[in-house]
Amino acid sequence: MDVKAIVLVGPGAAEGSAREQVAGVPIPLLDVLGRPLLHRVVDRLRRSVDEIAVIVEGGEGDAETFARLITSTAALPGVKATVMPAGGDMWRAAEEAFSDFAQNGAEVVVAIRLGPYAELDYDHLVQFHLDRGARVTAAVHEESEFGVFAISASRRNDAAYLFRHRFLECREPCTQYPFAGYFNQLAGAADLRALTRDGLLQMNTLRPVGKEIKPGVWAGEGARIDRGARVLTPAFIGARSRVRTAAVLTRCSSVEHHAEVDCGTVVEDSSVLPFSYVGAGLDLAHAVVGFRRLVSLRRNTEVEFSDPTLIAMSSVHAPVRALASAASLATFLPKHILLGFFGKSRREKPADLPAAVRAPAAHNLPALENGADDGSAKFPSNLAVARRYGNE
Amino acid sequence: METSRPVVVKRVPERLDLKQARKFVREVRPFLRADRPQIVLDLSPVKQIDSAGVDMLLHCMGEAMKRDGDVKLASLSPQAAVILELTRADRLFEIYENSTDAARSYSGFLPNALRMQQQLSEQTPPGQLAA
Repeated sequence: MDVKAIVLVGPGAAEGSAREQVAGVPIPLLDVLGRPLLHRVVDRLRRSVDEIAVIVEGGEGDAETFARLITSTAALPGVKATVMPAGGDMWRAAEEAFSDFAQNGAEVVVAIRLGPYAELDYDHLVQFHLDRGARVTAAVHEESEFGVFAISASRRNDAAYLFRHRFLECREPCTQYPFAGYFNQLAGAADLRALTRDGLLQMNTLRPVGKEIKPGVWAGEGARIDRGARVLTPAFIGARSRVRTAAVLTRCSSVEHHAEVDCGTVVEDSSVLPFSYVGAGLDLAHAVVGFRRLVSLRRNTEVEFSDPTLIAMSSVHAPVRALASAASLATFLPKHILLGFFGKSRREKPADLPAAVRAPAAHNLPALENGADDGSAKFPSNLAVARRYGNE
Repeated sequence: METSRPVVVKRVPERLDLKQARKFVREVRPFLRADRPQIVLDLSPVKQIDSAGVDMLLHCMGEAMKRDGDVKLASLSPQAAVILELTRADRLFEIYENSTDAARSYSGFLPNALRMQQQLSEQTPPGQLAA
């Protein structure tokens, strides 16, 4: 049986539907516990499907660069990936990919829009589709379709209709495949946090990529946790990320790869996305940080940062990151030597102590009535004195 | 005892970076140097605020407190609220939903205000008070 798959990553079609983006990046491209969600879905598909095409309608600027990095051949070997800028016609590209698969002898094509995340058994879906002899089978969760279809490759018109209507409408009523497993709508940052939390609490099949360095704490390859940093379980620290001294990670927080949490910062119930820098001494709670933006879940607000001392982003390209760190290393010593010579000292001289502090009143007190000032008898005789040993 | 010290309500600019923060401090300085300054900063227009902006707010409060006064914040925009929470500066300020509440809070414990409250409570029927 020749089964192929088309995975679409892009905005939802329904009017007024959620943006399904965090910090301008489609959620399926973001890392969840060390691996992008798209890669995890592709891994799951590989078990049931012979060939996969991925079509991404990414964002702009950093988001597009990141999308290209995530879908590069090195990141997704054996997968034909197409990245188009925001506003590109993802659905037309999907239609073309379907035609190519049909011409190359595919029997069933599984079309997925991410979007929502569902832990679906694709083998079972395809078998269900074949058993029913259906043209198009739609996976359904709680009586609503969520963008997963099995389409018979011979039914090109049905497929074209489905793609042209952006998965909102079938040419003829399609067969429904009921799904009752783990499902996350992934409509926004709150859902992304919920997915990460569920992964750490083992409520879904997303496992952290890395070594469990102590029960409930996973660290990726090359992750650095400075002495003095506190990591409270469960938590995830991605590959080549860094948690500096006196920082605290708590309540299912995750720091994805190449991210950095600076000294003294508290990260509580938050996700730090790849390549992000969270400045020193901050209080990051119930938030998702990445791509120079912070999404506050409590206030349902997204804030963009221009101040690199608070939230910043390092380059997604390794050579640029290496150059930047070399430059900062080269300038560190001269800068501090110059500051030592010419910098204004911030240490304030202590103010003159008041006379009362310099000469405590106790010194001026007269000696106790029955105690001579020679230090021999210190206690008045009419006071009870606690014995030195309890049982005497 | 009559109180006549004014409460100054000042609207913070939309973008609070280093340049704007310096300009804003220059504008507020005369009020900060008054005896026991009572200042309310309205942060409703704030769209972007960086560490220099937070530093400016702390500077204003420091200056006011040196003269036994206070700076209170009102009508925080979501962006400003997020930044203040992130930098933990929200714990240092009294924050009110609007400028009127913030200004009124300065007179909360003064005899005039108490007298007005008493008058109000006398005018209001007891059933309404209980509700």
